[in-house]
Amino acid sequence: MASKETCRQELRTAIRQLSDRCLYSASRWAAEQLVGIEQDPAKYTPSHTRFQRGSSSIRRRFRTDGAGDAAAAFNSTPVAGVSFISTPLASEEENDAVESDFYLLAKSYFDCREYRRAAHVLREQTSKKAVFLRCYALYLAGEKRKEEETMELEGPLGKSDAVNKELISLERELSGLRKCGTIDSFCLFLYGLVLKEKGNEGLARVVLVESVNNYPWNWSAWSELQSLCTTVEILNGLHLVNHWMKDFFLANAYQELRLHNESLAKYEYIQGTFSFSNYVQAQIAKAQYSLREFEQVEVIFEELLRNDPHRVEDMDMYSNVLYAKECFSALSYLAHRVFLTDKYRPESCCIIGNYYSLKGQHEKSVMYFRRALKLNKNYLSAWTLMGHEYVEMKNTPAAVDAYRRAVDINPCDYRAWYGLGQTYEMMGMPFYALHYFKKSVFLQPNDSRLWIAMAQCYKSEELHMPEEAIKCFKRAVNCNDREAIALHQLAKLHRELDRFEEAAFYYKKDLERMEAEEREGPNMVEALSFLARYCKDQKRFEEAEVYCTRLLDYTGPEKEEAKSLLRGIRSARDVELFPP
Amino acid sequence: MDDDQIMLDPSSNLGLFVRRCLLSFNLLPFEGVCHLLTNIGAYCKESFSSCPYELSHIEDCANEAESSMEYENMELESLVFDKVSKEFEAQKKANDSFAFHNHAPKAIIGFIEESDISSGSKVKEFDRLREGSSCIPSSSYSQRIIDPQVGSFLRTNWQIQGNLLDQADAIERHGSSFSLNAFESILKQLQKLAPELHRVHFLRYLNSLHHDDYPVALENLHRYFDYSAGTEGIDFGPPSSGCNSFGRYEVALLCLGMMHFHFGHPKQALEVLTEAVRVSQQHSDDACLAYTLAAICNLLSEVGISRMTGIIGSACSSVVNMRTSLSIQQQLFVLLRRSLKRAEGLKLKRLVASNHVAMAKFELTHVQRPLSYFGPKGPMKLRTCPINVCKELRLSSRLIHEFCDESSIMNTDGLLCTMWLKNLKKPIGSVIFSQENESRRNLDTFQFCSQPNSLPGSVVQLLGTSALVRATAWEIYGSASLARISTLAFAACFADSSSSADAALAYAKLIQHLAVFKGHKEAFAALKIAEEKFLCVSKSRVHLVKLQLLHERALHRGDLKFAQRICNEFGALASSVSGVDMELKTEASLRHARTLLAANQFNQAAAVTNSLFGMCYKYNMQVENATVLLLLAEIHKRSGNAALGIPYALASLSFCQSFNLDLLKASATLTLADLWLSLGSNHSKRALALLHSAFPMILGHGGLELSARAYITETKCYLADPSFSVSEDPEVVLEPLKRASEALELLEYHELAVEAFYFLAIVYDKLGYLEEREKAAALFKVHIMALENPEEKEDSLSTML
Repeated sequence: MASKETCRQELRTAIRQLSDRCLYSASRWAAEQLVGIEQDPAKYTPSHTRFQRGSSSIRRRFRTDGAGDAAAAFNSTPVAGVSFISTPLASEEENDAVESDFYLLAKSYFDCREYRRAAHVLREQTSKKAVFLRCYALYLAGEKRKEEETMELEGPLGKSDAVNKELISLERELSGLRKCGTIDSFCLFLYGLVLKEKGNEGLARVVLVESVNNYPWNWSAWSELQSLCTTVEILNGLHLVNHWMKDFFLANAYQELRLHNESLAKYEYIQGTFSFSNYVQAQIAKAQYSLREFEQVEVIFEELLRNDPHRVEDMDMYSNVLYAKECFSALSYLAHRVFLTDKYRPESCCIIGNYYSLKGQHEKSVMYFRRALKLNKNYLSAWTLMGHEYVEMKNTPAAVDAYRRAVDINPCDYRAWYGLGQTYEMMGMPFYALHYFKKSVFLQPNDSRLWIAMAQCYKSEELHMPEEAIKCFKRAVNCNDREAIALHQLAKLHRELDRFEEAAFYYKKDLERMEAEEREGPNMVEALSFLARYCKDQKRFEEAEVYCTRLLDYTGPEKEEAKSLLRGIRSARDVELFPP
Repeated sequence: MDDDQIMLDPSSNLGLFVRRCLLSFNLLPFEGVCHLLTNIGAYCKESFSSCPYELSHIEDCANEAESSMEYENMELESLVFDKVSKEFEAQKKANDSFAFHNHAPKAIIGFIEESDISSGSKVKEFDRLREGSSCIPSSSYSQRIIDPQVGSFLRTNWQIQGNLLDQADAIERHGSSFSLNAFESILKQLQKLAPELHRVHFLRYLNSLHHDDYPVALENLHRYFDYSAGTEGIDFGPPSSGCNSFGRYEVALLCLGMMHFHFGHPKQALEVLTEAVRVSQQHSDDACLAYTLAAICNLLSEVGISRMTGIIGSACSSVVNMRTSLSIQQQLFVLLRRSLKRAEGLKLKRLVASNHVAMAKFELTHVQRPLSYFGPKGPMKLRTCPINVCKELRLSSRLIHEFCDESSIMNTDGLLCTMWLKNLKKPIGSVIFSQENESRRNLDTFQFCSQPNSLPGSVVQLLGTSALVRATAWEIYGSASLARISTLAFAACFADSSSSADAALAYAKLIQHLAVFKGHKEAFAALKIAEEKFLCVSKSRVHLVKLQLLHERALHRGDLKFAQRICNEFGALASSVSGVDMELKTEASLRHARTLLAANQFNQAAAVTNSLFGMCYKYNMQVENATVLLLLAEIHKRSGNAALGIPYALASLSFCQSFNLDLLKASATLTLADLWLSLGSNHSKRALALLHSAFPMILGHGGLELSARAYITETKCYLADPSFSVSEDPEVVLEPLKRASEALELLEYHELAVEAFYFLAIVYDKLGYLEEREKAAALFKVHIMALENPEEKEDSLSTML
């Protein structure tokens, strides 16, 4: 990775260029990363660095320092970086005054969301910047109209055939520009966007790669490119020039392709430079969440909230964690905070939905999930969570519908597939449910819960396919089954099938595990009594005696059984020692 | 516009339509008007740009051609306008509570009809190609096809539903003759435009099902039922138990089971259907239960194999609820009865009828044994009952009367547009048997339009199937002419609405009939017609018939290499899984044995036949066993072990008797007579008596080959009889010999022809008719030459493969 100072310089320039072109979310992202770069300890006094890892208030203060620093840097000319691509210089931006005046006017219109007006002002301008802004404004105008039309034509939850009417003319113009070679990387990004929307994904990928190779600091281009990389093969086939932005891209792409460990490794590497970036932290939390490391996720989010108390992004994941851990108060606190920050964000609605769900008010919760979906009908987790709510309300058809929509939006959502399977299993259709469990297991083969669910299906009374169930439970055991259901079930199934050796093996394993985790319960008794009897039958009397004596600690019929077993063992031993 | 300005009868169809258009226009919100305007504007822009000289010619309409073209354009334009306004009519309609589709938000769907039409036209063109003659589309129709770019037609939800139903029908009927991708792309588009039309998923499922795309079919099936909860799709007669709040997912199970069945996964199919039974019992969905039982019956009868018992024992115990010691046939019988009873109780007429048909099919080939049958001491009644079959078939065709009676109730609601759409589609629908009666067809089209047929297509289809089963029954029982009549009745009455599989079966039956009675030449001519009509993919009926014909012909002409090649081809058609495609496998090894026999490789032929007998016995195919035994007798006869052959012939006879296979019985009697004769001339009287007992059947129903063989045997009997002298009564031998030789020449059956002409020459020689003798001898020579060099007369037929 390039040195921190280079990154900083590059980002500073990039932010200015991006916001000059009204690519606000990209410039926001860049700015976030800029302040996320760790300060060089050599440049600053040790006291500074010591405080860097200290409390948030100190860091706040430190950050304002940094921001001021950055503002100062704005005025100086950017230094050419040592990375593969040098920082683009603002060479062509100083054209004649009239042109830049028009540009300023257009930009103000743009900022006031009057896109068509902005495009009109720039209709005669030929500078690359103006061309981009005009096209971009047209594109956004088309998008806006499309949204309105969707609303006019249909209810908000359905799809519709409204299209962005500007796409065709934009494509024509941009492809012409690209052919004669007078296209800059921003227009290339826009061209890629248009192509993607028109369904020409192959060319869109090529164009976007071109764009990010020329100008790597446009995060929007990277994320568009990422959304087009649906398989690992496509990702590996991209010809990307080395740049530190590529690491961000790869980490994100790995995450979306469910290569969570790779993604985590990449983010941790990035954190070496951008150690204070909220974005990176949130992404790490996301990866940890996918790996089901809830404890860590919670820690990360707590810190994130301390640093950035008005953050709404990604907070729905935090609420999921809190929900899973049943932290009432924390979830309620979070819900109230996001409610005050921005009530009408899909994430906020989702968090509030989770809050109500945890309180057991499922109707209200569904209402909030619906609201989230109204705000963003492709909001995946809201569909899935709504499905969960419907399951709780025993409204199976609605649950199935919600899950199915989630799956249709993203067929890789293993949670929704799992939900579908669960719903059908609830309806007493285990064989039908198997199809869905298979899907979810295929997507997330390392999740023991999915394997257990599938095994339960096979084991169910109706299907009764113990061999298949055993296979699934075995997979679950290999996937670090936290609740230790699988071992117990394996032992039980083997015992039912009269395979005592295997049963004993698994009972023993289960026993060891329970001892290690210091758990007690009926499973323990069951394992002990089986093992005692099994060892006795195998004439391993000493072992049997150990199990029996342990059984004596428990009350109930097992105690009596253990006593009689002990007696039997003794007499058997006597027979062995003194054969009649 | 005021009402009195409309120059239309307000109560006429068109008037009603215009009034509704006006009404819905008035109800339009401002946005709706805007969209209407933009749509019309866009349309006008496109249509004018496609016709650039239009404006310049508006002033001077001198040119006739141009003006007529213009006129057409305008007509089209107005048509589009109508459609656009109709869309809003639909919107209004959807606002009325509309049970058909209650969870769709709004009915505005811009359905690009052009693609739909082009699909229709594709089907039509396809048909047209098959037929070699066009079926005159209406002029506006052709106009639309010519100009597919112009105008996006808008349809109501309702119409699309109707159209989709039609398409589903068509897919099920024509199977894989639908183009997969073309239809798929239309469906995708439709889905994009109208996401709440879940039936599209079902059609995609059907489409991929009929193109054997398992993963896609599975995916779409699940998707469809996830969205629709089983409450939308399949129309189960009266929704008796109704849609409870749980949805009707048992229907999904039923469909999934049938899909697995289609793809040849009997085990999964049975699992799923068992689950369907359980779920529908739980939700007390009796109709679905009845259908599921029927599906299980179907499964069992199709895949009725001994290995199923293992599955049944474990999984189906809840369904069958009886001792597993029962054979699969008995289980099937019990299930059929149960399903029939349930269907009758629920008054599901179609199901009752189809159950009757299934029952008839079952009784056709299965011996009914008492259910509690232990060992040989139990009461044995090894007979099939033709009467029962007839009864079942009659019961099944009673359905049509019931539907006729309630036709008045069937479509009371003015499904005007749907009917209209259907009528529009009718002429391009199933054009299968229409070549012969093209003129009648066009007439029919008009009748359809004026007087919509009240019988649902599925009913007619079912009746057609029952007619075909009847034909099969006659075929098995040995009445060729009655079989032919039944088949012809099917072709005349039900061909239009039957599935293409059924129609192909009917064709196959007719062709076979031709081959047996009129010789190969005519049969091949008919086959050519059939091949043009039906897609000749592997395993299709037409393909099978072709192979059969080619094989028979090769055997007759002594072209054994070719015959063997076809045998191999047959064997390759059958699936390699044991217990599947049993009919094909039996036929393949039967033909193999016959080829070996023709090559005089008796040991091998006997070995093949013996193993075939074992297989038939194992899978309980008694009817086939009769044929196999007869073949064994034939092999022994040809190898010169007449004494060994007689028991086989007798066994075959007794089988034929118990299964009422009259024609086969006659043929077995003929073989028996042959066998007796070859034991020595002192048995000739007995042989002759046997032969004469079989003669009525043979002459009445037997084909050319059988009667020729009978004639030759008769002659041989007479000639072998020492008390018979030729010169006293020459006609007794000459007449049959002449007839036999005629028939054999038609069949090109060289081997037997040689024999016939040999006898003929000898008889003429004895009588002293030298000229005739020479003629017979010359023909004898021709045939024997042909027999020795079969490859010489290579012709186009052997390249047909």
